[in-house]
Amino acid sequence: MSERCERRWHPGRACAFGAVLALAAGPAALAAPATPSPSAGVGTPTTGAPAPAGTHGEELYRQSCASCHGQQGQGTQRGPSLIGVGPASVDFQLSTGRMPIADEKPQSRRTQPLFSADEIAALVDHVASFGGGGPQIPQVAPGNLQAGRELFATNCAPCHGTTGAGASLTNGWTAPPLYDATPVQVAEAIRVGPGLMPVFPSQVLTDQQVDDLATYVRRLRDERLDRGGGSLGRLGPVPEGLVAWIVTLGLLVTAARWLGRRAGQ
Amino acid sequence: MILDRLARAFDDRLRLSPVVRKALAKVFPDHWSFMLGEIALYSFVALVLTGVYLTFFFDPSSADRVYQGSYAPLDGSTTSAAYASTVRLSWDVRGGLMIRQTHHWAALIFVAAIVVHLTRIFFTGAFRRPRELNWLVGVTMLVLALANGFTGYSMPDDLVSGMGLRILVSVTESVPLVGSWLVFLALGGEFPSDEMIPRLFITHVLLVPALLVALISAHLAMIVRQKHSQFPGLGRTEHNVVGSRLYPSYTLRSLALFAWVLAVLFALGGLVQINPVWIYGPFVPAGATAPAQPDWYIGWGDGALRLFPPWEFRIAGHLVPAPFFPGVVLGGVTFLALYAWPFVERWCTGDRRSHHLLDRPRDHPVRLGIGVGVLTFFAILIVAGGDDVIARELRIPIYDLLNTLRVLVLVLPLVTGTLAFLLARALRRGDAARLGELTRADLRAARRQPGEPAPGRAVDEPELPAPHRPGERIELWPDGDRWRWRYHDERADLAILSNREAYTEQEAVDAARLAYPGVDRLVVPGPPPPAPPGRVRTAVRRWGNAAMGVALLVTALRQRRRRKDAGPEDRSSSQ
Repeated sequence: MSERCERRWHPGRACAFGAVLALAAGPAALAAPATPSPSAGVGTPTTGAPAPAGTHGEELYRQSCASCHGQQGQGTQRGPSLIGVGPASVDFQLSTGRMPIADEKPQSRRTQPLFSADEIAALVDHVASFGGGGPQIPQVAPGNLQAGRELFATNCAPCHGTTGAGASLTNGWTAPPLYDATPVQVAEAIRVGPGLMPVFPSQVLTDQQVDDLATYVRRLRDERLDRGGGSLGRLGPVPEGLVAWIVTLGLLVTAARWLGRRAGQ
Repeated sequence: MILDRLARAFDDRLRLSPVVRKALAKVFPDHWSFMLGEIALYSFVALVLTGVYLTFFFDPSSADRVYQGSYAPLDGSTTSAAYASTVRLSWDVRGGLMIRQTHHWAALIFVAAIVVHLTRIFFTGAFRRPRELNWLVGVTMLVLALANGFTGYSMPDDLVSGMGLRILVSVTESVPLVGSWLVFLALGGEFPSDEMIPRLFITHVLLVPALLVALISAHLAMIVRQKHSQFPGLGRTEHNVVGSRLYPSYTLRSLALFAWVLAVLFALGGLVQINPVWIYGPFVPAGATAPAQPDWYIGWGDGALRLFPPWEFRIAGHLVPAPFFPGVVLGGVTFLALYAWPFVERWCTGDRRSHHLLDRPRDHPVRLGIGVGVLTFFAILIVAGGDDVIARELRIPIYDLLNTLRVLVLVLPLVTGTLAFLLARALRRGDAARLGELTRADLRAARRQPGEPAPGRAVDEPELPAPHRPGERIELWPDGDRWRWRYHDERADLAILSNREAYTEQEAVDAARLAYPGVDRLVVPGPPPPAPPGRVRTAVRRWGNAAMGVALLVTALRQRRRRKDAGPEDRSSSQ
């Protein structure tokens, strides 16, 4: 699922596509991804899911998830219940590599996903079979960059930073950097609200706005934003001050030393 | 030849040559640490040069403006004119971003160089009589540099700097009784006022730079008038200056440093991103971002605000809000202490003499200890200002870090200060030349009370050279119709030539007596032969000349051959 999106998404084409959508087919774009039809079942919208996926998913679940989340997703002392978390949450946690984790910790960090896209789809199906509904995996269409920037500044920047570099929250929690997130993962996080992140349901942010946000976040990882040389991690004055003191002033003081030492000769 | 005639024409009309001759022969001491202030000076030159370019494109207004340009996420958005013009400057003006980044880097280096220069002055006691006045001018320039840094940082009206400005406004409001009046006076209204950016702008580009230029002139004029201080050494006394002449050697060295500063600053401006305001977005009062910091030179104030506990209390019915102590009192005390230090030290030590020979830092362990402690204190405050970035990078809970820093900021300055004090005492009493040569015995000696007789040199040795050292003399000789003299120390194989020629023998004798009181004088017949140049230098010069000759020859031959080759073709083409 996410892989397919990855391939589809070229920044330039996405931009052009977004502009065309916004200008010519605004209402259509609004309507098109608005509601993933519930008739598609609780599974993913991927049509290529093979028939034995259910059993495969069950097997994977038993191997990697059940020890903490329980055989029926009811949760144990080591992990929360998965009933009603929704496919978006499962897909988000698995495709960002945050689950499965080896030991309990309050916040797991993004790593390489353990499962392939097909396996994740199977697991999503299996967890959905526990019932309880929950947010579906959003379908993301290219959105409006300018609107996305404004929405990001209002809703996301206070925790993730305007540069998307991430920041510390309370109690050792962090708002992670957004540079590795795919548009679908961004949309999932908005709808699901993993960890300390608030949930933004469709009453707060429409699907179109989510598309705009995903487009802008995608743009943030673009190095073309880093005009003017090495970006120093987009962390602002702290690395800048370090460079100024250690590299630059160090160099200049060395130069002065060298010039002064040659003076005696 | 043209220059010659021009110079003569000016001299005929303005009679410059005596002044210029005197100025060019002026001697500056050679130690490298005396060039730290020059780094600041040249950064300032770079700031003025790049700043002028920026004013061509920056629009200091908070009026609404639609940005239209090549930065897509903002294209068509309405922001303040200041912000829109800064983004335009960065994305749509040729060379604009490089100049803007160079300007910002130069500002960071400007203040950093001032601070390093100040610590050099402080630890070597260069602020003592007669240079207290120049110390006051220097500290004032530090204050102005901070002010100009902050106004410049705030002018683009981006989200990060807007948050900083909001904090400064709150800190000003926290002054009891007059705080809110001060804010209204400065901004002409409530916080994001329309007059804010124009006022910041005129402060940044006119008022403070003009003051800085005036004070820099005064600073340098005082150095020229009072002569530069120097480190003690052979042939150096309280009455002379040993070093290089202004022209050619010191001018060349200084210009080399200028080139270094420009090269490094422009390299940074072109290669390392700083303050990407387009990603930060425009300032909106309800907006926020994290991590957010001011530039490093304001970071200590931010760090103090972060570390200080939220204590508020009332005095006679007036609330004293929490930011008052870390924000207003700390800054005020810091700069008052800086201004007062020369006078406080004079009062404490009772030393009212003039000093032209510098201390080594170890000579005053108390001063060194206090200085190191205070520097540690402010360094920790700056670190605390970046606590969210540190917590993010080290993956530790931010409140744990904050509490650790709260302890460290109180304890560590005492530790480092005491350590510096003890090491300085050990160095002064023992005979180790540098830190690495300290022995355990030296350290043990440092712990003794100062009243006990120290095995090394006396504590307050008069800063005059030992008179009548064997082998030390002044040599005078006639040079045409002028007289020259030099100081010669045979034992140390040291000869110091006077920088000026004297018209009579008596004049030369007077000058020598002034510079080296109590040293025997001797008239020698001719000019002492100049020392033969080193072997390497001679070889380099000889080889350099040979290489240049060969290169010229080769070029000439090549040129000739090319002309020969091209000749017939030219002819054929013209037919």
